[in-house]
Order: sequence, then structure tokens, then C-alpha cells
Amino acid sequence: MKRSFLPSIWTLLSLLALALLAVFLLWPLLNLLGTSLALSGDGQSGWAQLIDDPKYLRALGNTLLLGAAVTLCASVLGVSLAYVTARFDFPGKPWVAILPLCTLVVPEVIVSQTWLMILGNNGVLTLWLDQHLRLRLPSFYGWPGLVLVMSLVYYTYIYLGTLAAIRGFDVQLEEAAQSLGTAPGHARLQVMLPLIMPAVLASALLVFTLVVGNFAIATLLGGRVQLLSVLTYLSFISEMGTNPALQSSLASVSIAIVAGVLFLQRYLVGRKRYELVQGRSAPSRKLRGVPGLLLGAAIGGFILLSSLPLLTVLVSAFTESRGPVMQWGSFSLQNLSRVLLRSPEPILNTLLYGCIATLISLVLSVLISYLVIKKKNLLTPLIDYIAMLPMAMSGTVLGIALVMTFNTGWLALSGSAAIMVLVFVIRRFPFGVRSASSTLYNIPNSIEEASISLGVAPLRSFIKVVLPLMAPAIAAAAVLTWTTIVAELSASLVVYSAGRETITIQVFRLIETGLQGQAAAYGLILVLMTLVPVLFCSLVLRIKVF
Amino acid sequence: MTSISINDLSVTYGSGIQVIDHLHLEIEEGSFFTLLGPSGCGKTTLLRVIAGFIEPSAGQVHFGNIDMTRLPAHQRGIGMVFQDYALFPDKTVFDNVAYGLRARKIDGPTITRKVGEYLERVGMQGFAERYPPALSGGQRQRVALARALVIEPRVLLMDEPLSNLDSKLRLQIRSAIADLQREIGITTVFVTHDQEEALALSDQIALMKKGRIEQLGSPQEIYQRPASAYVADFIGAANLIQGEVQGPPLAAVGPASEVAIRIAGQDLRAQATPGQALSLGCLIARPENIQLLPAEHAPHNSLPGQVWRKQYLGHKTSYSIELADQQQVAVDCFGPARHEFACGQAVCLQFDAQSSRVVPR
Repeated sequence: MKRSFLPSIWTLLSLLALALLAVFLLWPLLNLLGTSLALSGDGQSGWAQLIDDPKYLRALGNTLLLGAAVTLCASVLGVSLAYVTARFDFPGKPWVAILPLCTLVVPEVIVSQTWLMILGNNGVLTLWLDQHLRLRLPSFYGWPGLVLVMSLVYYTYIYLGTLAAIRGFDVQLEEAAQSLGTAPGHARLQVMLPLIMPAVLASALLVFTLVVGNFAIATLLGGRVQLLSVLTYLSFISEMGTNPALQSSLASVSIAIVAGVLFLQRYLVGRKRYELVQGRSAPSRKLRGVPGLLLGAAIGGFILLSSLPLLTVLVSAFTESRGPVMQWGSFSLQNLSRVLLRSPEPILNTLLYGCIATLISLVLSVLISYLVIKKKNLLTPLIDYIAMLPMAMSGTVLGIALVMTFNTGWLALSGSAAIMVLVFVIRRFPFGVRSASSTLYNIPNSIEEASISLGVAPLRSFIKVVLPLMAPAIAAAAVLTWTTIVAELSASLVVYSAGRETITIQVFRLIETGLQGQAAAYGLILVLMTLVPVLFCSLVLRIKVF
Repeated sequence: MTSISINDLSVTYGSGIQVIDHLHLEIEEGSFFTLLGPSGCGKTTLLRVIAGFIEPSAGQVHFGNIDMTRLPAHQRGIGMVFQDYALFPDKTVFDNVAYGLRARKIDGPTITRKVGEYLERVGMQGFAERYPPALSGGQRQRVALARALVIEPRVLLMDEPLSNLDSKLRLQIRSAIADLQREIGITTVFVTHDQEEALALSDQIALMKKGRIEQLGSPQEIYQRPASAYVADFIGAANLIQGEVQGPPLAAVGPASEVAIRIAGQDLRAQATPGQALSLGCLIARPENIQLLPAEHAPHNSLPGQVWRKQYLGHKTSYSIELADQQQVAVDCFGPARHEFACGQAVCLQFDAQSSRVVPR
């Protein structure tokens, strides 16, 4: 068979994308898995060391237990909140809309820090209760802190997923069940629950993988509870360069867990996908009087709890501090001025790496999603699969894989700014691919063909016709990519070198040394760096970010 | 103005599925040509090969005497109209229509003049500053038509342009397309699965089946002289009554000769179609070409039957008649009926030997 325009521009771009993914993603991953099987200096493979020491099995058990506990709590919170907001009107309801914002714009490391300032050993509330009520709270470190903080961070995913499903649910199905003689409450349970279940399940499994991979909260609040992600990081720190076998094995376990869950998710959700014909969605019922007030109060309390980190970081950034001691009640600009004037490097690093990484990540994700959806060829399914691999890797694992691979050899990036940017891009571009893909699905091929038929070459047609239609989605993806990149800690903590600290790394180090005031000042700047683009995008450009 | 010729064209998809199978086709300059068939017959694929969006596995496409086979779509000089309109939603009506002219680097005043002229031709003057989402389906398709025609393409290609419209608009746009095509005289290839559209618009119809052309002809030829049971069944309503061919075998008869077919023990005379030498055949008769008479008449060339169902539809009455061998035959009686028949009544069906045909089963 003769081909005319060989090889087409899209084939070349596919090859380019595949080459980039192979070098910067597939190779490090295979390198990591391979190293876990190799024998270390003392003749033991990483897997043998892992099984010999009960500490690691215990950490695995703890990680799975924590995953299950947080998923359960977050699901209960997320689903009930979604149901209540979708179906009822109550005083103060508009405030619910700010909830996702609260958890999204405050990076995990800041959330952990603020909760420590409230409920930690020297926390405001801990001390107050002790002094005034002689009430000794149990230590916040360990299970209480982990479950509380992670549930409050991750319920948002379940809330948003469930809310979309309930809004898409056709209320006529419920009415049909009632017309067939089922009581209203029962009808809801029998008809609506199975239909929104796939969405709930999908977001719950996502939360599970996030908990398993979580490093920031786990290491700051874990206390004596040993967790896989923390041990992986510690083994990396302690044996850097000498014995990579154990850290590789630990990382492989984490990959296996997350990959397993993702497969389960595909299997469960793929099997139970219902075609929901767009029908009438239920009108929300007005709750008046005592029930309305009670519900409003409950939700209000919950919103307050969710936004507590945001409020705390705001207050504590302006609170005077002497070393590790916070002088609550006396305000000053001392923390902020110290951070901005004496050591602004982390802020500048974050801005620089964040901007470059966001830009590269966007270009890569638009290119990949376009190839995968609109220009299918023999290579594109492969590209699609490889591009989803970072979703199965926690930040720590990804960081270790990249450091191991690019430490020496023909492409030695260790210690450079390039590896910081690389780790951000690889970690976040799959999410960009996802959001770009969903927009591209909704742009019919005929639009592009119309342009070509009018005499404009394919690549120019894409730029002139498809790209403008994707612009809102790209802007939203840019904001999301940016907020997650500047909030990144687990992966960058592994690859950074002196002088290349980002804000999150600096905050992490300050918390370890107990300098809460400065940490809060950096935290506030970080929150502003995420909040401003989010607000600009949603209020000025009127683009829905999430 | 260009003729289109397609020579020994095949399209095979990756998994070995033959979508177009060694197809030959000549489309006359300035004619309105329709590719008709059910979904999956290859009609859209053929159109997209002509447009240049699909590369054929074998064969050539010529516009006039220029070989287009290896030319990319954007250099072919085609105008294309899509089922979903494919207007650029972020551009105004004016910018949509001007898009192709700008790509050709035509100067501003000329663009303004031509866009205005073509918007007027499709009856959309005054909508230039609107955005497509603010237009109705019919208006959008008018704009799409102007956009395709304003670049004065060699050929106009339309892929089911009426399918997304409701029935009333469909008639309006259909007439608009017919008028414009006649006015401009552009060679047009029109893809549809709607036989009524095909009959109403076309100079020539190619009825397709499984990547091949089953019958090619004018609307009259296709309707009145279907070459096979498939064609008769697809175009309009037709009774396909099974029987045994008597007299000369089908293979032996030339065009326009008569043959006898035995149905339920009775011999009927009808037009013969050249085909295989089989004794099993099929009588094709349109419901409006069968006369329904009281049983006692029993005229020449008729079959006895019994009324099974009767539906009064205003301008006509539709009967379903069961023959002695249990086959069902639909009969339409138009206007005020000379005879009224009740369910269960014995009747007699008279076939017109000129309008009914025998085809191989």
C-alpha cells in the first residue's frame, strides 16, 4: 500500500512523544523495578531484606489500614455532604461552594502544620484545654491525627464525584419506583444508590491510592505509626547511593498496591457503567424551621472545620514568634518580612520551576491527548498507557526512580534545576492529559475537517480551530497543574539539592526545626500563589476550575 | 466545474474489513449525485475518500483529468457540508463563511462582498454578526452551505446534511440545496440513508450495499425498475412475493421482456430482470400498483386473498392481504375508494404486468 504524505506530521509527533515518555518515564520505572530484584552489597536482595524485618510488613499493614479508614471516613463525609447539598436548601448553603477551594488551595504540608499548631503537643487548643479544663488530650501524632487530617483533605474528591453523579441522576426514575408502590425513602435507596455507586466507588478508590502514596501528612503526623511512604523515603535518605535495593523494593510494593487498586477500579467501574439519559434532575427541597437551622449549623461547623487550616495559616503568619514559641494574640510582620527579605530563594525557586513545569506539562498533555484521541495510529495506544503510569507512582517513588536513573551516566541531571522541573512535569502531566482528553472528546472531528476542506493544512487547522475551543479547558488545566505543582512535596523532597528548595520543602524543614512562625509565613505566600490564579480563573475569566 | 471519476477503488481497514470493494464510478460534470444506502454500506467512506480524508488502499480518484488520489484534502478544492454542521462555535457567521477565503489570502473588500453575496444566497443576510450557538439547526446548515460554496470549490460534498433537522426544516433546506445546486451548477455528491431525499434531489443515485454499487440510475429507473429485491426493498415500499419462475429461465431473458411466476398455484406475468438461472424468484410489486377487487371479479393476472388488516390514513387506505400460501401483501388504495373491504373478506389482487418485476431471490 502506497502512502502519500509519509511520514505524516502526526506520526513524527507521536514518535517524539513516545521517545520523551520512554526516556523520562518508562526507563526510570523499569530501572527501579530492576534494581529491586538485584542483589545488594551483602548478597541480599531488597525483597529478602523487606521480608526479614517485621517493621516493613507492619508498615504495609498500617498503610492499608490507614487507607481503608480514611477512605471510609472521607466517603461518609463526602457522600452525605453531596446528597444534602444536591437535594436540600438550607440557610447558608451557598457557602458550601467554597469547600473544595479550602482543601485545594492549601498544600498538605501546610494543612498538617496548621493542625499541629492547633492540636499538636504545643497546640493552641491542647494548651488551652490543659490549662483551663485540666483536660489532657491524647497525642495528636499517630492514628488520630492521620485519620482526621487525611479525611478532611480527601473527602473533597468524593464530594465532587458524588455531587456530579447525583445531579446527573434522573429523578423520574425515582418517581417511577414510587409509582410502582415503593415508599419514597426506600425508592431512593433502591434506585439512586446503585446508579451513583460507580461514581462514589471510583472516587473512593482514588482516595485510597492518594492515602497510600501520601507523604507530607504521613511523615509530619505519623508519630510512631510506621507507614510505607515514610519508610521508603527514610531508606532512600539513609542509603542514598550505597544500597538502592531496599528502597526500590519498598517503592515497588507501593506501585503494586496503587496499580492493583487502579485495575480494580477499572474493573468495577467499567462493568457497572449505566447510560443515564439526561432527564430531569431533582429540585432541591427547602428545609425551614428547626431542621433547616440544624442542618445549616451542622454544615456550617463542617465548613469551619475544613477552612480551619486556611484561617490558621493566615493568623499565624502575622503572629509574633520567638524561636519555636508562638506569641498568640500579638501580631507583627516579622515572620513575613524575614521570609520575603532575608530568604526569598524558596519563593523564587517555586515560581521559576513552577512556571516552566506548568508550561511544559501543558504542551505535553495537549499534544498527547490530541494524538491519542484524534490522531490514532499504531503508537498512540502505547503512548496512552505509558502516560497514565505516573498515576500509579507516589511522589516519593517517582522521585527515587528519577534520582536513581539520572544520577550518573549520559544524562546526569542530579542536583540540577532540570530534575526539579522534570519531576514536577512527570508527576502532574497525566492529570492534564485527562482534562484535555475530556474536552477533546466533545469537539467533533468534523470541525477540523471543515477547516481542512476549506483549504487550511492539518496542523494549522488544529491551531486555528481546535486550540481556541480548548482554551478554557487549557486555562483550567493550567491553574490545576500550577496549584498541584507548587504544593508538591513528596517527589521534590527526594530530588532537590541545596539551594534548590521550593516553599514546601522549606516549610517542611522549618517544621522539623520547630520554627512555626516562619513556616506559616511561607505557607501564607504559598496559599496566595495558588489562590490568586484560582480566583482569577473562576471570577475574572469565568472558567470552572473544578 | 468538474466531473469525478473513481477507478477500481478499494478501502480496507486495519482489521482486514473491506469497506469499499473494487468500485468504479463516473459522476458527470454539474450533476447532483447521491450515494444512498443503509449505515455501514460504505457511502460515507466513499465520500471521505473523494474529500481526501481517507486514503484508499487501491484505486484512483480523478477530478476531471487530474489525479487526486495522493493529494491531501486541503489542496483538493472541495466544499464540504457535514451532518453536525461543523461551524466554528467561537467565530461569527461572517468569520465562518470568510474562513476559507482568508486561507486563500483574498483581499478584505472582496471577502466582505463575497460573504455578503453567499449569505444572501442561502437566505442568511442579517445574521453575519451572530454566533453559531445562537442559530437554529436549519440556519446553521444554511451558513455551513454558504461557507462551503463561497470558496467556489470544484465539487460540493455533503455528508447527510439533513439528518439532524426536524422534518419540516428538512423539507425547507432540501429545497434550498436543490435550488442552489441548480443555480450554481456545481458537481455535487450527496450522502444519505433517506430514500425520499435521494429521489427528490438527485440526477443520479448509486444505491450501495457492502462497499459495492448495487444499482446506478436515475431516480425513476431505481424506483420503477429495481434490479434486485434489495433495491426494491430499500427504495419506497415494495412487496417481495416469493414464487417459482415459469417459462424462460431468468438468465436467458433480455431487458424488458415478460416472464411468468407461479405464486400460490397461480401464474402471474411480470417484467423480467436478467439474473441467475434459478427457478426460485421474487415478484416485486409496489403497494400502489396493485388493484384490490371483490373476489368474484377474478380478472386476468390476479391472485385470491383475504383482508388481514385495514388502516385508514386519510389520503389512502392501506390493506394487508394474506394470500393462499400465507404470504402477506400490502396494498394501497388512494382517494375515495370504489370498493370498501372489511377484515376477513375474500378479495382478489390484480397485478400490473408492466409495473411489477421478477428478480432472482
